[in-house]
Amino acid sequence: MKKILSIVFDPNLLRRWRSFRLATWLGWQIESNWTDPFLFGIYSIIKPLAGAAILVVMYSVITNGDFASPIFPYIYLGNAFYIYVGQVMTGISWAVIDDREHYKTIKYMYTAPIHFPSYLIGRGVARFIIATFSVFITILFGVLFLHIRIDFLQADWLLFLVSLLVGVNMLAMMGLILAGAMLLFAHHMWGLGDAVAGALYLFSGAIFPLDVLPAYLRPLGYLMPITYWLELLRRALIGNVAQAFPTLSSFSNLQLLGILVGLTLVFGVISKFSFRWCEAQAREKGLIDVVTNY
Amino acid sequence: MKLATRIEKNTGWRLYLQTIIARAYPRLIGQQREKSWMFFDIFLPLLGVAAYVFVYRAIKAPEEYIGFVVVGGAMTAFWMNVLWSMSSQLYWEKEQGNLALYIMAPNSMTAILLGMALGGMLATLLRAAAIMLLGSWLFQVHYAVSSYLQLFAIFTLAMVALYGMGMMAASVYLLLSREAWHISNLAQEPIYLLSGFYFPVKSLNFWVALTASLIPLTLGLDAMRQLAFASGTSLGFLTVPVEIAALTVMSVIFLVGAKYLLAYMEKLAIQEGRLTESRR
Amino acid sequence: MDFAIQTGDLSRIYKIRGGKKTEAKELVALHDVDLEVRPGELFGLLGPNGAGKTTLIKILTTLLSPSSGWAQVAGFDVTKEADKVRPRINMVSGGEASGYGLLTVRENLWMFAQFYGIPSAQANQRIKDLLKIVGMADRLNSKSSDLSTGLRQKMNIVRGFLTDPDVLFLDEPTLGLDVGASREVRRFIRQWVDDDPTRTILLTTHYMVEADELCDRVAIINQGRVLACDTPAALKKRLQSEAIFRLEVTPLNGFRVDQLETLPGVRKITHQLQDSSSVLEFILAQDDALASVVNQMTHNNIHILNLQKHEPTLEDVFVDLVGRSIEEVESETGDPD
Repeated sequence: MKKILSIVFDPNLLRRWRSFRLATWLGWQIESNWTDPFLFGIYSIIKPLAGAAILVVMYSVITNGDFASPIFPYIYLGNAFYIYVGQVMTGISWAVIDDREHYKTIKYMYTAPIHFPSYLIGRGVARFIIATFSVFITILFGVLFLHIRIDFLQADWLLFLVSLLVGVNMLAMMGLILAGAMLLFAHHMWGLGDAVAGALYLFSGAIFPLDVLPAYLRPLGYLMPITYWLELLRRALIGNVAQAFPTLSSFSNLQLLGILVGLTLVFGVISKFSFRWCEAQAREKGLIDVVTNY
Repeated sequence: MKLATRIEKNTGWRLYLQTIIARAYPRLIGQQREKSWMFFDIFLPLLGVAAYVFVYRAIKAPEEYIGFVVVGGAMTAFWMNVLWSMSSQLYWEKEQGNLALYIMAPNSMTAILLGMALGGMLATLLRAAAIMLLGSWLFQVHYAVSSYLQLFAIFTLAMVALYGMGMMAASVYLLLSREAWHISNLAQEPIYLLSGFYFPVKSLNFWVALTASLIPLTLGLDAMRQLAFASGTSLGFLTVPVEIAALTVMSVIFLVGAKYLLAYMEKLAIQEGRLTESRR
Repeated sequence: MDFAIQTGDLSRIYKIRGGKKTEAKELVALHDVDLEVRPGELFGLLGPNGAGKTTLIKILTTLLSPSSGWAQVAGFDVTKEADKVRPRINMVSGGEASGYGLLTVRENLWMFAQFYGIPSAQANQRIKDLLKIVGMADRLNSKSSDLSTGLRQKMNIVRGFLTDPDVLFLDEPTLGLDVGASREVRRFIRQWVDDDPTRTILLTTHYMVEADELCDRVAIINQGRVLACDTPAALKKRLQSEAIFRLEVTPLNGFRVDQLETLPGVRKITHQLQDSSSVLEFILAQDDALASVVNQMTHNNIHILNLQKHEPTLEDVFVDLVGRSIEEVESETGDPD
């Protein structure tokens, strides 16, 4: 009991929690109050639906609207959950640019007795919440208007929730890697989170099975934790339809989950060391609070 | 030390040109001094475009659709330049305090905006060229250009009209605060959808496509596809001559409109005291 | 041109947006301001934070419209002829962060010079000359993101003078500068105006010493109104018939200072608390009035630790006009300038 209490009340852990909690509050204040709630809702609906609609129209043009084919829910759900990738990674990495160049508060945050990486991750939580709303709206639209068949009674909600939780942590680690890099870049790199998310779109099996990629590119997809994460989410919601594609069909849910957890831990370690290195570089070069702006 | 008094200052078109060059300078030089953008602004978008290529491959689309994606992907570079290097840039300038200094100086706002756009043009052109050339090579895109002259005319007109529209949009940003960034963010995917960046705009409802044609890139892309691909004509929304005429008219309207809208919005912003506020 | 700057009944009202549960309210930033600044003058605008100095400058530099009244700069109306005003003016604000961090000092300054149509060769020479004057010749090729706050402000000051304006607006220009640098900049400002009678500077500050030292004339502004406008000497002379004393006394222990204001000959009192004493400043009609003040305090067991008589300063003029010191006014006000 004493050991548990000493872990729970470990000052370092408490500091991280405090940093995370305050950053979550701050991130939400920044992300949510730029307009009234109605417009905010409209914005949160239009943007993801437009992104999904591009794929829907592309698909519809070629297949003459064959939404019953299993490839369609594969594409649609993969794209819907991929919203998390861009939003979480951008939310965390963008906080560096926002605090450094726009609010010019980074020097105060950095020198305060907080855990800076936890602070940055906390800043990403608001985007996660907004992304959740967008994902929900996108999926709802698909279910109501595009024949995406999700049996809410048959869905494996436990698998869904566990996968989502692990996946969000994985995305947070990736976001932290980008945040570290952002400490070394000028203001014109503000779109890095989105750009990287756009690039990973290719290798994560989000909108097409990895088998479509040339053989020499597929290993990159297998190294991406996002690949397994999206597959797990699809399987949790639409079961056999998701397993119709050969790419990961030989893996069971538990195996996929194990790989996801393992890769998340790997990215966790990478993020820790890469962030530390970038931070040290930034301190050495006096870049922590530089204002480059142009 | 006494400073020489009374400097002779340029006015008119000389001042206009000086302003464009001076405002383009920070971006050009900044890109030389911090070159990380070359990888992230060129290579990563190419990967993003490739993703759409493979979607078409996954659903067994005709090979020409791969070409549509490559061309559309290249043109997104120009839309992003207008959106982020021109329109929203004014919002950032306001936050930094530069906007007040620009307004107070005897130069023209259109020159400032042109300078901003031109400054980002190096990166934009590199991005577009990389996607076109590398994308075409990687995915074995075959072009069948029926008229290079018309293609060049379409591209030029689309750019003129697009940047004119960008200047008009930028004028609205003089009044905006934090919502500016979100509006620009909102104007990405819906425009990619409505303007048919990755599929022929003809696939959309006629009235939707017609409304979307107000964005110069819609007609520009449609015409370029008709001119560059064998099956382009059958998938075109309007005929190429009609699209050229429409783009010409749009160019004039947007450029003239930009001049008046900028002046009007500046006046409004000065009346409401929005030029120097920082409501972050 | 009779006047470099002229305003008539100039007013500006801001509408401050309320929150979800509060209504929008109006803030009167300027009220019926009448000013006349002649060419060749170094004119000071003195007042606490929130007095309306920056609002006035924004109107005169064509960045903000007045709500009513009119203003002319260099002979042109700031609202109707802004494009004629702009080639003739420039502005420097204290603590501004303009420019681009990745550019060098020279590049930033060159860029702004281009916006005024100054040929590159002339601009570059002028940049070198001005940087030498402000002691930054060795930082010509430093990136502006590498500059300290003070050096950044010096660069901003150079930017203001670089375009050789007819009318230059300096809004708290020495903010962020150390004592030595402030002194250099003030010397340069004075010399710049003296060198050419067609040049005019309007300087805003809340440092009395700066206004006293530099300005040909000073307008004292508070809560959007100009309370007085004259040379520093003439303003101070208004108080010379009065006597100003500074008393450091033992703690007041509940004694109310306003009781002293009812004594004959006492015009104004300000009160500042210190660690183990209180400082009272008196403006008295004549020296004699001090006796009754001292008697009253002694009667209430308040003893004098230190007594000084001093010559009136602009701060005293301000106190006389406003009834409180500039620090007291600033501590009460939180509204934007």
